[in-house]
Amino acid sequence: MKKKLVSILLVAAMSVTLLAGCGSNGSSTKKVKDNSTATKGEIVWWGWTPGSPANEEYVKAFNKEYPDIKVTWKQTTVDDYDATIKPALANGKGVDAFQVSPGSANGGVQVFGGQAIDLTPAVKEALGDDYKDKINPDSITTMTVNGKLKALGVGFAYAGSVWINQDLFDKYNVKVPTNMDEWVAACKTFKSHGINGFVQGAGQGAFNMDTFHAICDNVEPGLFQKATKGKADWTDKSFVKALQLWRELFTNGVMQKGALGIQQYPEANNLFMSQKSAMIMMGSWYTYNTLPANMKAAMESASSTAKPFTMIPVNFPDIAGTGNVGSMFGDLDYSTAISATSKNIKAATTFATWLGASKSGQQMIANALNVVPSLKGVTPNWDEVKLVNPAKQNEPVKEYYENAMKTVDNSRFAYINADMNQAMMDVLSGVAGGSISPKDGAAQLKSAQEESN
Amino acid sequence: MKKKSKMKAIKMKGFPWILPAFIFVLGIIYYSIFYTFDLSTLNWNGLDPIREPAGLSNFTKMFKDPIFWKAIKNTVIYFVFTFVIQNFLGFVFAAILHSKVKLGTIHKCLIFIPTILAPATMAPVFRLMFSPQGILQKIFDFFHTGVTVDWLSKSNLALFVLMFVAIWEFTGMSFILYYAAMSQIDKEMLEASHLDGAGNLRTLFSMVLPNCKGTTVSLLMLGIIGALKTFDIPYLITTGGPNHATEFLGTYIYRQGIRQSHLGYAAAMSVILLILAIVGAILTNRFNKEEK
Repeated sequence: MKKKLVSILLVAAMSVTLLAGCGSNGSSTKKVKDNSTATKGEIVWWGWTPGSPANEEYVKAFNKEYPDIKVTWKQTTVDDYDATIKPALANGKGVDAFQVSPGSANGGVQVFGGQAIDLTPAVKEALGDDYKDKINPDSITTMTVNGKLKALGVGFAYAGSVWINQDLFDKYNVKVPTNMDEWVAACKTFKSHGINGFVQGAGQGAFNMDTFHAICDNVEPGLFQKATKGKADWTDKSFVKALQLWRELFTNGVMQKGALGIQQYPEANNLFMSQKSAMIMMGSWYTYNTLPANMKAAMESASSTAKPFTMIPVNFPDIAGTGNVGSMFGDLDYSTAISATSKNIKAATTFATWLGASKSGQQMIANALNVVPSLKGVTPNWDEVKLVNPAKQNEPVKEYYENAMKTVDNSRFAYINADMNQAMMDVLSGVAGGSISPKDGAAQLKSAQEESN
Repeated sequence: MKKKSKMKAIKMKGFPWILPAFIFVLGIIYYSIFYTFDLSTLNWNGLDPIREPAGLSNFTKMFKDPIFWKAIKNTVIYFVFTFVIQNFLGFVFAAILHSKVKLGTIHKCLIFIPTILAPATMAPVFRLMFSPQGILQKIFDFFHTGVTVDWLSKSNLALFVLMFVAIWEFTGMSFILYYAAMSQIDKEMLEASHLDGAGNLRTLFSMVLPNCKGTTVSLLMLGIIGALKTFDIPYLITTGGPNHATEFLGTYIYRQGIRQSHLGYAAAMSVILLILAIVGAILTNRFNKEEK
């Protein structure tokens, strides 16, 4: 009898949980009372970039203007961000401001924007009704979901160039490669001295996409962007050619052995920062390491106690032999969104607009050399920025920065959704490993694009 | 009679003590299971206010997905290799350490330590070890073998590296369970087999191994469930790559649910994972009963 009773109770309990499961709506955004004001409150800011201590420095600078808004920076790793913030936002507690980015990049605004407030009134108040003329247009277009501005852009990241260790090039008297033959030769020379020429963490797909994009722009500028927007066919012969060149990098000695088994972060980055590799495919975010203190920290993380070295950005080599070089592509690296369930919306909005739409906030972002500011007309104050080796770095870094700012209509991830992103990573990995032919890879990209639309 | 009623009284007295935890665990586990069933019938990214009903389409999509089948294939290969090798090693180590081995306690510790180390701690070590910059490469180079340790980048080898790591990590568990099981075997029975002329190996495999059958079955069940749940080792060492060569159900569920925000699809795979784990446990149990 007792056993029966226990069974009945268990079944009842299970049924209740079943019904609760069916009926629950984890996504509901309840209206909550805002306890803050535009100048006072306590906010928690979630994100993954640029990482401590830079974010704390930003908060410190913000607090000079807004001393009564306490900001706590909560950092996760790049890979864990989506997994961590999703339940936090669904729960509606502990998140006031959070980083998002466009397309299939980390913290995609299409996924997370649903939990954010519309920032149009805030940006209008900060910059006036003509705010669209004052900030990079991609800050508006890529952060707008269903007609609402879900986040305010902070800065842009651009890729397409190769970073080199100029000191190693000088030491071994190696010419900076400008085409495939020179690239292979340079890698061979470095290898003879026990150093990797070029390093890529090809196990981390997003960076493969950067290299592939650079190759595509070298083969036929603009085609990659067109294809991501559905205006060009992925089976176009230029893509097949680009995939062939991508494969060649893994067989001709440019890519280090075992490239597909390592990640760009930390392994490839550590190899470059510890000077065990002379070249790496990184973007404008790497400019941050040209500042002595940042480079020292990065080198120490890579277990190197050597003196900071001279790193400079160079054009991606003309491996297709077309003469199309110098292409850069990029989009918002990160933006700040405000959680609709925050109890500190006003204070968080002040912080987001200060970071993305105020001159002082954006100047600080510019001077940190991590991203290119969203606000037009703000550039790093080069007189205040001291690089590791000013004589060799100032010119190329400045030129690189200016080229990045000139980049238009060539995005990294903004028009690639998560499914297409995964398909591209799979194809690039398969072609690199030899299990997918370039032609089949192009066909797979085409069918993935069709399926994901 | 008195003893029985006393036991009953003790049991009834103990019940309220475990009740809160019992309700808590039951609530969480069963709630999660049924909630996962519910999610598997949706097209939902986990945050959107609109949860689009999908019926059973997530399940039909799954059965047509080659990566899902690759994950199942990898799970089977992984289970067969790791189960056989780690239990064989565990059994042999346990038998050796039941004989009079010098510094036995140290050996036991050395065998068991990998089991208590967190995979998250060891993953970077293995990533480095199996890279061309690692210690293995240096050893191969020292002997001028010409071998390049780029196995994690090879689709046909990366899975074997993961199996090596799993065997290294979990052999200690098999060892400790076999060691405990061997301690329960009647020594007179073993002496009798020796008197009947059986050698050490014959005694080990004809007398000791059958007497450890209960342990083997338990390890089999744990192995099946463990293989189905495999996540940390492939995620931390290869992230399921290269090109899904080391994809498991756990890593694929995570990829679909978190990275690609197909929560419904990930939930459908979780349901299948649960069913496979239950079927595995039932079959093992039935096999054990039939043998008895």
